[in-house]
Amino acid sequence: MEDDTPKALRQTSLLKIGSYGFLALWALIAAFPLVWIFVMSFKLPIDAFAQNPLDVIFGPHTAQKDSAFSIIDILLGGVFAYYAYQIPVRFYRTTLDYFVPVQNKNMGAFALGLSYIFILVGFAFYVLPAISHVLNGIFHSISALSLLAKPLIGYTLQHYYAVWVENQFYIQFKNSLVITFGVVTISLTVGTLAAYALSRTASNLAIWLLIIALVFRALPHSVLVTGYLPFFINSKEILGPLWSMPVIGWFLSLFSQTPPTLYGQPLAVIAVLVAINQPFTIWMLRSFFMNVPKELDEAARVDGCTHFQAFRKVILPVMWPGLITTGLFSFLLAYNDYLVTSLLLDNQNQTMVPAISAYFNRETTATDQVNAIAAAASITAPLFILVVFFQKQIVSGLTAGAVKG
Amino acid sequence: MAKIQLKNICKRWGSTVGVRDFNLDIEDKEFIVFLGPSGCGKTTTMRMIAGLEDPTEGEIFIGDRCVNGLDPKDRDIAMVFQSYGLYPNLTVYENIRFPLKIRKVDSATHDKRVHKASDMVELGNLLERYPRELSGGQRQRVALARAIVREPNVFLMDEPLSNLDAKLRVSTRAQIKHLQHTLQTTTIYVTHDQIEAMTLADRVVVMSMGELQQLGTPTEIYDKPANTFVASFIGSPAMNLLDGEISDGKFIADHTLVKDIPSGLPNAVTIGFRAEDIQVTTELEGDITAPVYSVELLGDSTLISIKIGDALLIAKADKAFRVNIGQTVSFIIPPESRHWFNKEDGARIDF
Repeated sequence: MEDDTPKALRQTSLLKIGSYGFLALWALIAAFPLVWIFVMSFKLPIDAFAQNPLDVIFGPHTAQKDSAFSIIDILLGGVFAYYAYQIPVRFYRTTLDYFVPVQNKNMGAFALGLSYIFILVGFAFYVLPAISHVLNGIFHSISALSLLAKPLIGYTLQHYYAVWVENQFYIQFKNSLVITFGVVTISLTVGTLAAYALSRTASNLAIWLLIIALVFRALPHSVLVTGYLPFFINSKEILGPLWSMPVIGWFLSLFSQTPPTLYGQPLAVIAVLVAINQPFTIWMLRSFFMNVPKELDEAARVDGCTHFQAFRKVILPVMWPGLITTGLFSFLLAYNDYLVTSLLLDNQNQTMVPAISAYFNRETTATDQVNAIAAAASITAPLFILVVFFQKQIVSGLTAGAVKG
Repeated sequence: MAKIQLKNICKRWGSTVGVRDFNLDIEDKEFIVFLGPSGCGKTTTMRMIAGLEDPTEGEIFIGDRCVNGLDPKDRDIAMVFQSYGLYPNLTVYENIRFPLKIRKVDSATHDKRVHKASDMVELGNLLERYPRELSGGQRQRVALARAIVREPNVFLMDEPLSNLDAKLRVSTRAQIKHLQHTLQTTTIYVTHDQIEAMTLADRVVVMSMGELQQLGTPTEIYDKPANTFVASFIGSPAMNLLDGEISDGKFIADHTLVKDIPSGLPNAVTIGFRAEDIQVTTELEGDITAPVYSVELLGDSTLISIKIGDALLIAKADKAFRVNIGQTVSFIIPPESRHWFNKEDGARIDF
């Protein structure tokens, strides 16, 4: 492989080994807890809490009492994963060009991606087990190769079943989605508009607004919660006059007949999280907007756009990496929040993160603990999917700034 | 096609003055160049015509319409920016098409018009590329195509060649001149490069400190600069200027004695002469006699400079002319090549 690094930046081989070694070590330390809970969540408690780490990985008891993968299964899974990745990489362009007319490219790509995911899931859950069953049977009957078909890594889905079905974790999942969706949508909408205005104004007021926003960001989260608390508890009385106003009242009554008590509702959490998050999104988006040259606005205005059209048709499309990066940070804040959600939400509106703490109490059994681990693993999965999907935009948003010439 | 009138235009930001009491009539189909050093208000004036800035005072007319308060989109103009202002997420084709699309021009004609515009600037084979895949010259041609595709009343060009390298600048300059000649559209072109101004303009507006210094054809500006600022700005090298005094019908300064001067000059004057109008000799009998400060070979000629006080005076000699630095030479200034300016206010003195 050719080394394209400029000579001035090239490292000596010793330094190279050192830095890569450190990187590997660091990755191992950082990834270990995640990988470990992922492994544990598929094991029976006796294996999950075994003294010998190899037992945790291979799970001999789990293999005995529940299901297990043989070497053949693992190889099969590897082949499947390889092609599941290679097929879209190789054939995505041609298939897209073949099926989708030019003018609907985005929708077409989305539909194609979605159908591919459906095919993959169907294949993984129905076709793959059948193939594995047949292959294992064949190899089992050949004595020389029977080792390959021997159960090797035990796994059980019972904890996931307990979490998602018995404990109805999907309710919390839904609550998390509602709250994250609300927070991301509101903070991005308000954030882009505010940041665009702040990045384009010549007024001194902009700097003061930004500094005030920063002060709000610096407040401890609990201060914001307690500040809002009286309003949320008494919101029925406080909001009452709004419902009796002529036009606004009619409009609001479309959503609810009486003014709601916000305490315990997702709406309250969304409000607080947006308040916490908004200064940050405004600052971050503003720096992205600052990277979009003003000449782009001006060119658009001269070419025939109104102010808002210039923003929507010229500036926003250029800003996607910035929006996605900022959106991801907002998502993480709302999704991972413990304090605000646990303080403000009723039990039936609880989100996933505080719900895990319900698994831990004085009477916690080993099974409960593994269930909690399975719940924790379930929480991380969407994050991974999100990062994998948007990694290109995130990287370009974080490194290059929003626009290149 | 439209005339443009600027009436008493002022632009101020707080106490900073950008443009001061600016009046200008631009004829239909005229190629006007705003020329001046950076910060002289030329770009501000153009931006006010475009509608990207509001004049603090005064009125702007395009055609017969007062456009004060109109949005840029309603002024029927097109603009080319110094750093191109191309939309990075669109292909060249979509970039050129953008003005048509946003103005809801009949979409059946788009393809034809985009191809016509792109052919005029020789972009035909680059339509599917993105701006980031183009060189600077190509990007500026895309910007030109985007400007001409809609056939607006007025073209505004804000230093379009400044980001290009020297060679490309010459060819793109010729292209712009040809384009304007073909399309016969009123064009305002802003530059700080006097060569661009001389080569492109029907008339040049020389500006400094937010004020109009001189308005005239390139020849007028070159031959009869209205004041020392214009004289020192136009020409390559610029006009030589030397402060001195009139005494006994002679112009006197250090190392300098100019005879046969017109009568009626004030006491304190500045003499101006162009490098190419004077002769250099090693026989010490000319109007200015001083040691050579530097010798620059240009290939087609040789520049000989001498230093009188703070003023560096340059003469253009034959390409075979050779002297050493430090050797004494004489400049002979023919009477018809002398320009006289009032030393106090820099204004030209005509007879």
